[in-house]
Amino acid sequence: MFAPYLILLALFGVWPIVQAGLVSLEPTVINPAGGAQNFADVVADVRFVPAALNVVVFLVMYVPAMLIVVSLMSLLLDTVQGRWNLPLRLAYIVPASMTGATAVLIWYFMLEPSLSPYQDALHALGITQGNQIWRQGGLAWIFVAMAFFVGAGNWIVVQYGSLQSISDDILEAARIDGANSWQIAWRIKLPLIRKYLVYMGILVFAAGLQVFVEPQLISGSVYTGIATDWSLNQLSYDLAFQSNNLADSAALSLMLLVVCIVAAIVVIFRSDFFEGTGVGSKK
Amino acid sequence: MKRLAVALVAVIALGVALAGCTTGGSSSSGRPSILIWADTPRIPQATEYQKEMKGKVDVKIETIAQADAQTKIALANRAKKGWPDIIFGAPADTAQFKDPSNGYAADLTKLVSKKIFDGFGEGNSDCLYNGKYYCLKNDLANTVLWYNTKIFKELGLTVPTTMQEFVDTALKLKGTGYSAGAYGDQLYYAAFLQSSECPLADLTAENTVRIAPSDPKCTRVAKTIQPLLDSGVIDKRSPFDAGFIKDVAGQDKVAMTIGPSWWGDFVIRPAASWSVPAGEIAAANMPSWGTGSDNKSGAYGGGVFTVSSHSKFPQAAVDAAVWMTTSDWMATAATTPTFPAYGPANKLWEARISKDPYYANNVYTAMAAGANNISQVDRPVRFPFNAQFGTLSAAIQNGKSLSTALDDLTKSLQGLAPQSGYKVVTK
Repeated sequence: MFAPYLILLALFGVWPIVQAGLVSLEPTVINPAGGAQNFADVVADVRFVPAALNVVVFLVMYVPAMLIVVSLMSLLLDTVQGRWNLPLRLAYIVPASMTGATAVLIWYFMLEPSLSPYQDALHALGITQGNQIWRQGGLAWIFVAMAFFVGAGNWIVVQYGSLQSISDDILEAARIDGANSWQIAWRIKLPLIRKYLVYMGILVFAAGLQVFVEPQLISGSVYTGIATDWSLNQLSYDLAFQSNNLADSAALSLMLLVVCIVAAIVVIFRSDFFEGTGVGSKK
Repeated sequence: MKRLAVALVAVIALGVALAGCTTGGSSSSGRPSILIWADTPRIPQATEYQKEMKGKVDVKIETIAQADAQTKIALANRAKKGWPDIIFGAPADTAQFKDPSNGYAADLTKLVSKKIFDGFGEGNSDCLYNGKYYCLKNDLANTVLWYNTKIFKELGLTVPTTMQEFVDTALKLKGTGYSAGAYGDQLYYAAFLQSSECPLADLTAENTVRIAPSDPKCTRVAKTIQPLLDSGVIDKRSPFDAGFIKDVAGQDKVAMTIGPSWWGDFVIRPAASWSVPAGEIAAANMPSWGTGSDNKSGAYGGGVFTVSSHSKFPQAAVDAAVWMTTSDWMATAATTPTFPAYGPANKLWEARISKDPYYANNVYTAMAAGANNISQVDRPVRFPFNAQFGTLSAAIQNGKSLSTALDDLTKSLQGLAPQSGYKVVTK
């Protein structure tokens, strides 16, 4: 019954990881002996620490922003039933239908003072030149905004779906007990969809850790070199294809994978993610 | 059952037919077959070659982005198949391709005739490594001085011939609303650091690179150019910055700028870019830093064709690379974008550009004067040299001094070079 999934997992999940593991130990230009030294070489690369810091700053803004705004918006959406519900859901999903690459261009135009439709607002803030916004050191929030608007709409609709799974009996009981809408949202609805929020948190964290499209496109086309090797995934890409060093690239990818898995495990076992399925630490 | 049998027969027949197609094309006819990878501007050249070779060599063409050259060869190396017979890319790509760890580039020294190399003169020096040629240069992008004759006349300026005169002339623009250009990107390197021969990628041995920002040829750049930045007569922004184009260049306010030879047709003239009116722009020789041979130009761009060491038809591949870089057709085609590196070809190209009524003088003269005089101190290297200009321009745009900006750049370069197996010398 699980066979179709397991076959795909083995082919496109497990096998590439095994292969990356093998490649990561191959000899490189700087380490002709190969082996685990490659992992140390990656960490010692001058580009590694700045990229890691960028990604941490990105995650610190991106993950909470997603969790808080998505929870809030889906709770609000849940209170709007009737004929406005469908148009609202559509409105959330439209920005999410942009891909990351399109979003990069749209944000470039919105934030470039000489092209922006919000020129006056930018000028009022004292921003008259593109380089006041697009500057090294201040890029994380722009990338967060790009990734947020691409991702949030989808998740709002998904979490709205999970709110729909809450039984009306429970909500009615709460109402009879005298709970107002705020209390129902905070004490009943949110705890009941917590698992879905945890699940979302894991996926959003994994996506954020691998941030690539936004810095790569801005740096490759609009402002050449402004975000070269800004993120760890970009560094991995450049190691493979600019430095002719596939082994270090594979090593870095595996490090990212380990961080993802460890973070997911910690979150899963510190929450009651698997409660009710017989798995997990708490019963 | 019968339907299954019919279907099986059909599939087998189709398979045979397809197999026939793939083998029938080249090898069964006995003709050599080659694959060319090039970026969009080079496709008309390749298509013409394909036409001329019809019946002699089967030429296949695939369009790639220039920036993807290393990526795609790395993947082919990994797969141990699928290499193109020739590829268009940047000189730094060849530095990577000729390294034993990559092994894609063929040594062309003996495969290409001496007559061709002689025709290139200095033009092919980017392809020369330890006395051996590993590529053929397509076009040269040496810097010249672009100036606006209308503004020069209005302000009574004379055309500078030395860097000091450039500075003096630029300072006269203060308060006039005119600019001496924007240098907040790779142009600062090409126009000033490279022309001054500041050693930032100076290969003193095959795997030793000298990156020495304290060299007098580096320090004189910051000292000379800083006053221009401080007085605002040159712009911190990139010459491609939307704000600079809207406020300055697009208003016909650039009195002069140092820029590569392709800028006339591709940056200064197009309506979507600086859009400077016809009859105003002229080119003069690159201002010299000092006397004698201290008069080099920098370069911003310029591509090369590299030939595969894995080619099944090495001669056909070499012939294609030679044709792409030296043919009369390429030199005279209206689609040839930039200054051909091959001497006889750029003579032919001269015919078009020198009579172009858009320009206020014969811009070819200045281009040709600098073409064989590009600084050879910095060489194509295996680490991502050009990608580090982001650090340089960020420092300049964030208001740091030019000497601090250079320190930031050299720190990145010195950190990166060892990652590609270079020993770094800093003095």
